[in-house]
Amino acid sequence: MNPTYLIDGILLCVAGTVAAAVLPLFGGGRGLRRLTLSLLAVATGIGASVGIAAFIEGMPLGAAPAIFGFRIAFDALSASFFILLNAVACVVSLYSIAYVDGQADAYGVRRLDALTALFILGMQGVLLATTPFSFLLSWETMSMSSFFLVMADKKPESIRAGLFYLIMTHLGAGAILAGFMLLSGGAAFASFGQMALTAQSAPHAIVLLAFALTFFGFGSKAGLWPFHLWLPEAHPQAPSHISALMSGVMLKMALYGFLRLLLSVFPPIPSAWTLPVIALGLLSAVFGALYAIIERDFKRLLAYSSIENLGLMFTMLGAAAFARANALPALANAALAAVVLHAIAHAVFKSGLFMGAGAIVHELHTRDLESMGGLAKRMPKFSGAMLVLALGAVAMPPFSAFMSEWLFLQNVVEAIRLSAPFVQGVLIVILSGVAFVGGLAIFAMVKMFGIAFLALPRSERASQAEEPAAGLSWPVYAMAALTFLVGLLAPALLRAFGFMRETDGGRLLAGGGALAPSSVALLFAAIGTGVVLARKVFSDARRERSYHSWDCGQPMTEKMEYTATAFSAPMRFFFRLMLHARKNVTAIPIVATNPWIARRESRLEVRPLWMEALYAPVARAVLYASTQARRLHNGIIQFYIALILVALIATLAIAL
Amino acid sequence: MNPVILTLIQTAVVLALSPFALGCVRLFKARLQGRRGASPFQPYFAFATLLRKEMVISEGVSWVFRLTPYVVLASSLFLALVLPLVVRGGALGSLGDIFVTAGALAVGAIFLVFGGLDTGSAFGGMGSSREMTIASLLEPTIILVFATLALATGSTGLDGIVSAGLSVGSAPFLALTIAALALVALAENARYPADNPATHLELTMVHEAMILEYSGPYLAMLEYASTIKLSAFVLLIANLVFPATLVGTASSPAAVILAVGATLLKLVLGMGALALLESMISKMRFYRMQEYLTGAFFLALSGLALALIQHAV
Repeated sequence: MNPTYLIDGILLCVAGTVAAAVLPLFGGGRGLRRLTLSLLAVATGIGASVGIAAFIEGMPLGAAPAIFGFRIAFDALSASFFILLNAVACVVSLYSIAYVDGQADAYGVRRLDALTALFILGMQGVLLATTPFSFLLSWETMSMSSFFLVMADKKPESIRAGLFYLIMTHLGAGAILAGFMLLSGGAAFASFGQMALTAQSAPHAIVLLAFALTFFGFGSKAGLWPFHLWLPEAHPQAPSHISALMSGVMLKMALYGFLRLLLSVFPPIPSAWTLPVIALGLLSAVFGALYAIIERDFKRLLAYSSIENLGLMFTMLGAAAFARANALPALANAALAAVVLHAIAHAVFKSGLFMGAGAIVHELHTRDLESMGGLAKRMPKFSGAMLVLALGAVAMPPFSAFMSEWLFLQNVVEAIRLSAPFVQGVLIVILSGVAFVGGLAIFAMVKMFGIAFLALPRSERASQAEEPAAGLSWPVYAMAALTFLVGLLAPALLRAFGFMRETDGGRLLAGGGALAPSSVALLFAAIGTGVVLARKVFSDARRERSYHSWDCGQPMTEKMEYTATAFSAPMRFFFRLMLHARKNVTAIPIVATNPWIARRESRLEVRPLWMEALYAPVARAVLYASTQARRLHNGIIQFYIALILVALIATLAIAL
Repeated sequence: MNPVILTLIQTAVVLALSPFALGCVRLFKARLQGRRGASPFQPYFAFATLLRKEMVISEGVSWVFRLTPYVVLASSLFLALVLPLVVRGGALGSLGDIFVTAGALAVGAIFLVFGGLDTGSAFGGMGSSREMTIASLLEPTIILVFATLALATGSTGLDGIVSAGLSVGSAPFLALTIAALALVALAENARYPADNPATHLELTMVHEAMILEYSGPYLAMLEYASTIKLSAFVLLIANLVFPATLVGTASSPAAVILAVGATLLKLVLGMGALALLESMISKMRFYRMQEYLTGAFFLALSGLALALIQHAV
């Protein structure tokens, strides 16, 4: 009933991660580095296997020793996120062996490896935690180590991004702490189960306040609009394997935290509270996708795409809570299943894309899409894997993200049939919002792949690029294969997670509809084979010759190609009211007599709208307050002592 | 009749008739514009010629350029195999889920865009950028139209939707939804007012610009794919208006032959309507497409609202 090997496995996994965090202290030699990262890979590999074994053996694990409020316990939710975390971390740590070797001059290698292990340890702790204290301890370990990782290359822009991240993550952590304390009645070591009991008898206003605080805390960590500004600064600035972990996994920890509270702590929440969750989720998805469309930095584009995907997940989550409050159990269940499936799908394709971006940046020494191009010809195998990941990212059948969106949208359509007019309205907004975001996401990912990998090389380095080294490319292949496999196995996964019945067979079910991922994949494969055969039968494949593209009589160069900026121009125009992007063209005449013969420079500016409207006033207010407070610093020691006394009395008065 | 045989018949009929349909729309347009026009069988000769020609491949293109014709043709073939175009209850009907169909359409569009970008020519890039804009902004309308139909019929597969036999008379919302679907079809198939299928002027090209560098068999595959898609959309719309013209698994061979005849009639009439429309309106400026796309979206939304009201009553 309670196989002890599972607990041993978890302990082994955590101990291995701790050892990997400590090992770099003993030296930075190449051999020791390999040992450290291999140990990390083995430890996380064990973690992922234990998670899978836990599903096979059946939960729960039963009584286990409690260390510092870490009572090792699993349920379907934490076990599925535990698998997600450890599987991605395993591949990423193997990737980082080759990746960090190539970047050793830019980073302090020993610190980087130790912090990576600590970062993974923090995330493991978040999933194992059962009390506010242990949760927040792990949460802070995760946040602080990732803060240092963002600044790993010590460039001024990295430090700026890191500090911004530090402020935002601590505002969030503070809100989460406050929310936890409100829910548990101040007991830091209460278990989530006890918190649920306290919360049930707590006054309505307190629960609402805790809900708002934790939503802000987890939402800002997940990069929800309008608290998303730090994310596209911090994620791309980190080394690429850390970006993969941050976007692929760390954001999911925020999702997990909020899911955990909703499922095991909060009393059933009223329908009206879920509307802000849905609204912010949809807005994040729309703005994330729009900014991804106009972005020309490879890794920032991926970071914006993460905002979009987390937005979708919070929409699904909000919809699940909304459905529960409105007595639509089928939708509530399916939306939760879709959240977990989408989290897994996103973890796989986004970490794959970030690792791929790392390999390309390693090769080309730039993140700018406008300096890439032609890579599909130079690295055919690698670009194939990236194409699969990009198609997975835009939720094309039969890849994994399609299955989660299918499950969600099918159930929304089904629920619209059954519900009252107001509920129908909300569901229609969700349906059209998700479909709208789906279209925008296609644009962003097609732009990314098309500009980076197709057409003529746009720079000297791009024209000399070669297939990345095996150590950098096979983790990307593995993620591409997983994107496909997770989609294929989606029904089995959901059944294991307890979201579907035993009798569903290999199909996803939703109201009137059913979808078997394997038959869709088979049909696509069969049609593809048919087309290839038809081409062989009806025409002779060998008759072809090579010639330059139609160039209007003017030799064609890479300067004439469509750029990333030009490609997204129609979208910038159509959404100009939302984006506030402005193109400035300056012309410097070359011939004084003819103004038309001029050097033209075009510069695209995107006004940081949210920065100006939301962050700048707050920053000004804080600065003003601190300037006023500085007047107290008058240099008279007696005055300072008096202040200390006042503070002491005030504290005592409040505390007693 | 056996569903497998029905599906085979449907695929054969759609594949065989779609070049004729394209020939029809060209002929009707020519007649409406006072020209004599070529025979409606001209596209068959054009395809046969292209298949025999040598291909010229741009220097510097990658494997994506070569993969594109296969994927695009496969995406169209999916429509011919799965959607209820000539028969309902076909063997693959259960895979004609609304979201899978929307996905298959999107995959075709995505690869066309890749093919256009890969040549490195500014024409290809321009066409790709425009096509991607239209395709991505059409997505919500497609989903909304399909969702409305799914809601009204309780089936999420297009096969079930058409088999439910809704008619405009009993379900007035269908008029709005079908109108929205027609707008989607025009934009998806690069017809007026979104694109000019006959142009070779750079400023107005969308679809043509993307396939500019393709020649020989590849060009034939891409052109054939777009004729299949056009026929599939016309037949789908016609079947939503006249669901009774489809045959199911319980029908006799004579009924199947009748249905094939009806398909021919639907194609000719549909292409006539398209030719008439294209002769009456002009192409929209590309930077005004947002009005068209928003209009289509709100048309679909009003269809959905009306369907819900009717459902509630």
